[in-house]
Amino acid sequence: MSKHPTIAEHLEASGVSRRSFLQLCSMLMVTAPVGLALTSKSSVLQVAEAIGKTKRPSVIWLHFQDCTGCTETLLRTSAPDVAHLILDVISLDYHETLMAASGTQAEAALRSAIADNAGKYVLVVEGAIPTRDDGVYMELGGRPGVQVVREVAAQSAAVIAIGSCASWGGVPSADPNPTGAVGVDSVISGKPIINLPGCPPNPYNLVAVVLEYVTMGKLPELDEIRRPKFAYERVIHENCPRRAHFDAGRFAAAFGDEGHRKGWCLYKLGCKGPITHAACSTRHFNEIPNVWPIGIGAPCAGCTEKGVVWRMGTFETVPIHLATPPDTYPPIYSAAGGIKVGAAALVGAVAGAVGGATWVASQRFQSSNEAGVARVNIDRAHAEKLKASSEKPTDKPIDKKED
Amino acid sequence: MSTATTSSAPVTIANNNNETRWERAVPVYGFPVVNRFFLLLVAMTLLALLLTAYRELAGLGPVSGMNDAFGWGIWKTFNVMVLTALGSGAFAVGIAAWVFRRKRLHTLMRMALLTSFLAYACGLLLLGIDAGRPWNFYWIVFPWKWNMHSPLAEVAICMSIYAMIPLAVENIPPVLERLWYFDSRLRPGVERLERGLHKFFPWIIAAAYLLPGMHQSSLGALMLLAGERVHPLWQTPFLPLLYLGAACFMSFGCVAGTTMLCCLIWKRAMDMEVLDEAARITAWLIFGWLALRLLDILFRGALGTAFHFDRFAGVFWLETLLTAGGGWMLYRSLRDHETRLMFLGYVLSSLGGMIYRFSPTTLAFRPNPESLYFPSTIEILVSLGFICMGIAGFLFVVKRFGILPAPLQEWRDMASYFRFRRPYIRWTGYFKYGHFGENESETTDSN
Amino acid sequence: MAITRRELISNIAKAGVPTAVAITVGAETLHAETENIPVPSAAVGLLYDASICIGCKACVAACAEANGTLPDTRGDGLHQSPSDLNDVTRNIIKLYKPEDGSPSSFVKRQCMQCLDPACAAGCPFQALHKEPESGIVSWTAEECIGCRYCTITCPYHIPRFQWQGYNPRVTKCELCSHRLEQGLKPGCTSVCPTGAVIFGPRTVLLSEAKQRIKNNPGRYYQERVYGETDNGGTQCLYLSRVPFDKLGLPDLGPESVPARTLRWQRRFYQYFALPALLYVGLVQVIRKSLKGYEQEAHEREKETGLRAQL
Repeated sequence: MSKHPTIAEHLEASGVSRRSFLQLCSMLMVTAPVGLALTSKSSVLQVAEAIGKTKRPSVIWLHFQDCTGCTETLLRTSAPDVAHLILDVISLDYHETLMAASGTQAEAALRSAIADNAGKYVLVVEGAIPTRDDGVYMELGGRPGVQVVREVAAQSAAVIAIGSCASWGGVPSADPNPTGAVGVDSVISGKPIINLPGCPPNPYNLVAVVLEYVTMGKLPELDEIRRPKFAYERVIHENCPRRAHFDAGRFAAAFGDEGHRKGWCLYKLGCKGPITHAACSTRHFNEIPNVWPIGIGAPCAGCTEKGVVWRMGTFETVPIHLATPPDTYPPIYSAAGGIKVGAAALVGAVAGAVGGATWVASQRFQSSNEAGVARVNIDRAHAEKLKASSEKPTDKPIDKKED
Repeated sequence: MSTATTSSAPVTIANNNNETRWERAVPVYGFPVVNRFFLLLVAMTLLALLLTAYRELAGLGPVSGMNDAFGWGIWKTFNVMVLTALGSGAFAVGIAAWVFRRKRLHTLMRMALLTSFLAYACGLLLLGIDAGRPWNFYWIVFPWKWNMHSPLAEVAICMSIYAMIPLAVENIPPVLERLWYFDSRLRPGVERLERGLHKFFPWIIAAAYLLPGMHQSSLGALMLLAGERVHPLWQTPFLPLLYLGAACFMSFGCVAGTTMLCCLIWKRAMDMEVLDEAARITAWLIFGWLALRLLDILFRGALGTAFHFDRFAGVFWLETLLTAGGGWMLYRSLRDHETRLMFLGYVLSSLGGMIYRFSPTTLAFRPNPESLYFPSTIEILVSLGFICMGIAGFLFVVKRFGILPAPLQEWRDMASYFRFRRPYIRWTGYFKYGHFGENESETTDSN
Repeated sequence: MAITRRELISNIAKAGVPTAVAITVGAETLHAETENIPVPSAAVGLLYDASICIGCKACVAACAEANGTLPDTRGDGLHQSPSDLNDVTRNIIKLYKPEDGSPSSFVKRQCMQCLDPACAAGCPFQALHKEPESGIVSWTAEECIGCRYCTITCPYHIPRFQWQGYNPRVTKCELCSHRLEQGLKPGCTSVCPTGAVIFGPRTVLLSEAKQRIKNNPGRYYQERVYGETDNGGTQCLYLSRVPFDKLGLPDLGPESVPARTLRWQRRFYQYFALPALLYVGLVQVIRKSLKGYEQEAHEREKETGLRAQL
């Protein structure tokens, strides 16, 4: 077998069943139905083929200020047994928790791993990196973590920051941040970095990202803070199973009350779902359906977001930026039209003017009886005058000017 | 018969002692066409034209208060339905004069024709403005495209033909007359035209009575199709007939009332014999119409709704009382020779008729319980503007052509009068039966 | 001198006899017309069962898509939630929810495709007309003058006018005739998840509806299909648990609106016979009047020396 076998070759040699491998591939397709070139195929066999042809990527996993929760989340998979598959699909050349070596043997292993796969390995960073006081607050083999990460990243092909701590600082960076803990992308530059925040993050996201990179040769589409869009584009609120309760206005008001027991929306208990970008609402944890914070009745803490978790109050309600579609139906008869003040005033004015003018006009018609007596005399006089005058009504022109 | 109080000698002011008799249509001399009021009317018209241009570009929604529930606003329901009813003078007065041979009413014919023409012009223009896709009106020329089941088709086609042919032709004689007087070179041509007109006159006039009869009643038939949505106090199979009857008495009121108003403003003599005849006919029409209306409501069993406390009952009583009151005033004015009462009678009965014709489409129309309609400001301004256009046209025509009736002695050769400019215009100094209490000394002197 | 009684009667008689004939003939034709409204040979329609409808509004969205109209977001500027039929909404789901807690019901409102449509009866130049075979009442832009009479005559208040813009249209459901041509079903029926609205020939739908009534006694209001004879019969049929008039489907009786209301109008104008007869009668009368008038005018001309005025 060649020194760098393809994944398919290695799996065959290791005796991993094709069924398990296909299970992993289908799990990947579920994890990232859109947004990844790797899984944008019409059948799981195509995904398997793509992965199978690739050489086993070398992965170096470094820990810094971490709780090892991200590693644990990777190990807490059993259907399929991602842990084992991971270890067969990727070549995990250095992992402090999982490897047997320690001490100088471990350091030697790190050096040889770097040397053997220089420029080709994927560096996975778990945990925040303290930067205060030249990074003395966390040392690996006597050397500050900042230095280690820079050295190792310098020869890597890509850096994956797994977990909130590596993405933006996480728990160690909570106020007052005595160690100056920061995320990986604050200490490293010049290398492609992907952040997979979460506390802990979803393990399948890691697998998908790594395999996408090594099979397709490029990183998945990232947002402005380097999170892959296929997993972090939407907020929890958008796909939350309890969304119908939110839309209908059914909220749990206190832990253990009737609403809480019935599984109503936890917004009023401070759920940060509406402002937290993550995929937890569709991909739950521990491979048991509905095992995720909201599913078990704990409001989302917003563990992926730097400005949310450990910054906002636990029970502080968040402003909703996304409008909810109206939950109403039109009635049988809808309202339409209305009276505008200006138009009504205009109508009134016109009616008043016309009415007033009519009244005035009518008053000036003198009663025949009142006017008649005097008038008759004047009329008679005028009629006689006309008769006497030479002016008879005529059609001929009065003066002889031309027409 | 006399109730005079200021003289010892009994003076009878009965019609047959009247010195003034309308025998000729004479232009209004001595009053300039362009004065402040006329300019105001022209300004309103221009405003309306501008707003019409805006309506053509922006559509009907932004300019009017019409909505999905009330598809017709005041343009169709007021300017077309109400104003053309007021302008049915050519029809009503004409039928009284030519078919029923009320000879005295011939003196009012030119007034009736002019008011009808202007009212129909205003109405038809607004019909065109109100239509959402007016460029398709050309289908009027293809009879096989007409949907003869549709009252609206009947209205549009009939009204257009009527206004453009019989009504226009009937209004030509004053124009020809003026031409005859103004230029003797035109006289042979004018006389030939007049002879031709006389030859075809019966055919034109018969059309001028048939067509309005058809479309004024079809205007009523329009709301038949709305069925239950028109309040039962108005919705009846007799709607076409009631609309036609309303048009008759309204137009009498309009013609006679306008003539009285013109005589008031321009200090002309009023021939009470003619006006009394018109009032008598109008009163009979009103009472007959009211009887038909109330009997119809009674037999349909809708009278109960007239006593509910809602706006429909209110409108019903308003229009009924106005019409009945107007008719009563007319009747009284005949007995007491009160011109004031006669004028008010004409106005009130016409107003009642206007409300009646306006109601089934708007005031008494209930498409659904939640919607209502009120015209927008632009809608009102356009409607008003075109009415002002009609009035301005009337003022112009009445001063330049022989329309308003006057006694024979007031006639002067038209051309000679028009050739004189101010201050040479002769002030004829009419003395009136029913003068308006103004400077009689002035009028005595100026003669 | 008014018209003499003899003249009047003679004129009426001259016009009356042929008039009577015309009326009789016209009445006969009209009688046949209103009694038996013909059902088109390939009449298609919808059957909507309000008791199955869940109010998902998929049909509203599908209708907009099938007709190529943009969703109506004028309500809140964001979501497609029209509050009634309008110039872009041909189909809508409304909710009848009584205050007193008695059963509520959804109702799908779209054009009923009446057998004797009032909208087509009122349309001046037949822009709205009933297709002879399928019976779909369709609108053509070339003949429409935008008078909006159809919005007033339709007893169900279906056609809607486009109030914005200088080229307004009249919008209403036309059973997706463009899709029917391609052998597809109308948009709404293609997406209804519960089968509350189905498409088919009217005869089939009618028998299906009656079968449902028979199989479920007591379920449907008045044990009848709305549209079988209502308003003279419609091609879109309704079944409901709650009273039809509460859903906006008024009780119009078995006669269609045009037949019931325009009876006398149609009789009067049948073949234009009556108007023509009236015209001829009028001409006779006026000729006589004119003769007398001209004589008098001539005399006065001689008397006064002034030109006669007509």
